[in-house]
Amino acid sequence: MNCHGRTAEQGDVSNSSYGAELRRAMTWLGEKPDTIWLGQSCRDPGTAMYATLAEVPMDKRIELPVFENTQLGMSTGMALCGYVPISIYPRFNFLLEATSQLVSHLDKLPIFGNGYKPKVIIRTAIASRKPLDPQVQHYGSFTDPFRQMLKTVEVIELTGAHQVFDSYRKAYERDDGRSTLLVEHTARYA
Amino acid sequence: MTAADLIAFETEIADAFNAAQIRAPIHLDGGNEEWMLKVFEHVKPEDWLCGSWRMHYACLLKGVPPEELKAAIMAGQSISLCFPAHRIISSAIVAGTLPIAVGLGMAIKRRGGTETVWALCGDMTAETGTFHECHKYVANWGLPVRFIVADNRKSVCTDTRLVWNSNGTAKLRLNDLVYEYELPWPHSGAGRRVEF
Repeated sequence: MNCHGRTAEQGDVSNSSYGAELRRAMTWLGEKPDTIWLGQSCRDPGTAMYATLAEVPMDKRIELPVFENTQLGMSTGMALCGYVPISIYPRFNFLLEATSQLVSHLDKLPIFGNGYKPKVIIRTAIASRKPLDPQVQHYGSFTDPFRQMLKTVEVIELTGAHQVFDSYRKAYERDDGRSTLLVEHTARYA
Repeated sequence: MTAADLIAFETEIADAFNAAQIRAPIHLDGGNEEWMLKVFEHVKPEDWLCGSWRMHYACLLKGVPPEELKAAIMAGQSISLCFPAHRIISSAIVAGTLPIAVGLGMAIKRRGGTETVWALCGDMTAETGTFHECHKYVANWGLPVRFIVADNRKSVCTDTRLVWNSNGTAKLRLNDLVYEYELPWPHSGAGRRVEF
């Protein structure tokens, strides 16, 4: 329930901004008993994504060291135990460090796992180049290469506010044994 | 399950491989029967087992019926054996299941569970950055994960100590285990080497 007396699911997207829709999606996910957030800057501030978690309970956030590949493996492990982890990588360039766990494990377990189907929601973002240009190592955009590398994980690039809530709801509610990688644009957060 | 049972199973798999009945890589266990039997005295049915491409003994000792395990091996799955009913997950990637073990341990701890996650790996894996960060995280947060390092001083055909210019494997906690053994088989296959 937000400050307007409306649940996250009842929000009206027609006049909502991209950032507001992200907050609505995170708030809705935060109401689920099995969700858990992992990553850097999910409990401590420091990135643009942090603000989108404003209404996510603190006890659902695990602030992690910087170990991107281990983070994604941890997310897979927690998913095997019944959690639905939301694993946060504030920039696409950071997710590159987790490519092994993403491509060879989370993505392939539904194929070689003899029945294991971990469901993880991965959040990443293509960085804005304004008001500061983060330079070439921080504004990478790799949606298409990841689509080519992934066989079971669905990659969804969120280009408009209207996509945001439904895409996160789909990622959570899906029962097809697939995980979801959602690519955001921080330029649209404001 | 006795040491003789384990050796007999592996010999049967070796024979099948050398007769070209298995068209996929296998990594045979051997020389560590007593260590494995000792470790599995402490492994409960509800525990998780996270391992590598060399998991025949571990699967048998965790309770996978030999005929079920053999069927999976014959079907080409030896390199990444998974048995959800027995909570076994394996990977063909170096250190691949260690971060997954950490996540399992975190989930168990948050839920107040009593299961243990057993993370099995070899000596070269125990020298990787992934191993070190997983081990440090588990130790610092008191997660229910135990690391078992099987040290035959080799990674494929590479001498682990020589390439690291070191005298031993990673220092572990008291409740972890590093044991040394001699593998009587080649790294992969069963004597009739097939490069892949």
